[in-house]
Amino acid sequence: MSCNTSVTHLDVSSRGRVEQAPVHLMPCEIEYSGAAQVSQYFTATTKDRKQEKTVSFRGRGLKGQEISCPQGYTGLVLKEVNKPGSDQEDRTVRISSMFNKLTYWNLETPPTSDDTVVMAMDWPEVAEAIHGPIED
Amino acid sequence: MAAKKKRTPNKQNDSWVVISADSVLNTQKHDSDPAFLRLRNPSTDEASLYLLGSGNLQLYEVKAFEEDFHSWFVGQTVQRDGRLIFVTPMDPLYLLLPYMIKSGKEGKFQPVNQVVKDEDFPACSRLLSCTRSLTSLHHIAEEKEVGSQTFHRYSQDRTMDWLKKKVERTVVALKKKNICVGEGVKSTTYVRVKSESDNQEEDYLRYAHGLISDYISEDLSKVLLRHLGLPELKSPKETEPPSKKRKLSDKPVEAEEDYTKFNSADFARKPPKKMTAAQKTLAKVDKSGMKPMSSFFSPKAKAEKK
Repeated sequence: MSCNTSVTHLDVSSRGRVEQAPVHLMPCEIEYSGAAQVSQYFTATTKDRKQEKTVSFRGRGLKGQEISCPQGYTGLVLKEVNKPGSDQEDRTVRISSMFNKLTYWNLETPPTSDDTVVMAMDWPEVAEAIHGPIED
Repeated sequence: MAAKKKRTPNKQNDSWVVISADSVLNTQKHDSDPAFLRLRNPSTDEASLYLLGSGNLQLYEVKAFEEDFHSWFVGQTVQRDGRLIFVTPMDPLYLLLPYMIKSGKEGKFQPVNQVVKDEDFPACSRLLSCTRSLTSLHHIAEEKEVGSQTFHRYSQDRTMDWLKKKVERTVVALKKKNICVGEGVKSTTYVRVKSESDNQEEDYLRYAHGLISDYISEDLSKVLLRHLGLPELKSPKETEPPSKKRKLSDKPVEAEEDYTKFNSADFARKPPKKMTAAQKTLAKVDKSGMKPMSSFFSPKAKAEKK
């Protein structure tokens, strides 16, 4: 189990310099990773009313909502730099962008507080109960 | 439903969307960067991914929140991997506990740095550098000081008291967040409503016990259940083999006096659509050793209605 000994360093040195990037959680798997004209074809056509956002994506109506990161938490997009050739070498990821809010999109259904990603934002507080120090 | 389209396998991605405790970024003057590393998961005994903060001062848990068919737009890029990864502070005692239990079988007081050793996971000794490790070992072990050295011996009594406090804290948090823990979780998928069931208190205890059980061995989880005064439940699967279940559904409706009861019971047993997705998530073995968050939504021990 030699791969258990390799670590992935988190290079936080760029944290003061990186830009805030708009982040959208899409209700579909996109079989592609890389550059795309998101602002031109997606953000530009988004309609904003009250709390609900709507957009048409590939002919399907999406309904979305912006949610904030839990208090004391920051959104990070981590990117690996210089992938090593073997799984025994140490790796490094750096912060490529940061966010305090994200927008998640449902297919057709309006966003509610019962959406699983909204529920997931409760995790840090529950984790604090599970992991916080116990008084003597 | 249309036949599932064949998808190209998701090749190793090089980008992750993470929600991280701010403290990870506050590295200040410590020399080492935070690092993701694999340590022995106390519940599964397998490798899981954790993060050690700068200077090894704080341990963090790395949990992936994952739903089927999701991808990200980040700025002007597409990221196929739709997981949302949470990095939250973790109590290092959970990871130290298996080593203490193992050495405790010898019944001797021992220096802890001789106890926390693992051929497969040499990094485990770094856990002892965490601020909270040495100062909280008395929750799970008896301490003895000889000269300038401190020796420890595992104590199940102390561990049970410590874990019970953990469960109680978790119950408080679940109530505060209004997280639905009863049967409703199964049938209506995570709806945030208060159930009026009589054994709501027990539902909370069991749910919290299920959450804590993610950080301890199965044996210890059973002892904890007894310590909490909760009777062990047989899993619904055991009490109701599929053949019997089918028979129940095939029973003519006339055989049941109370139709509504029959229908609701039948409905509750049907796995709801969203749960299937969650179960799929559970079944998916994550190669990176990250723990999926599904346990947060579906406790291991579910209270069966009597």
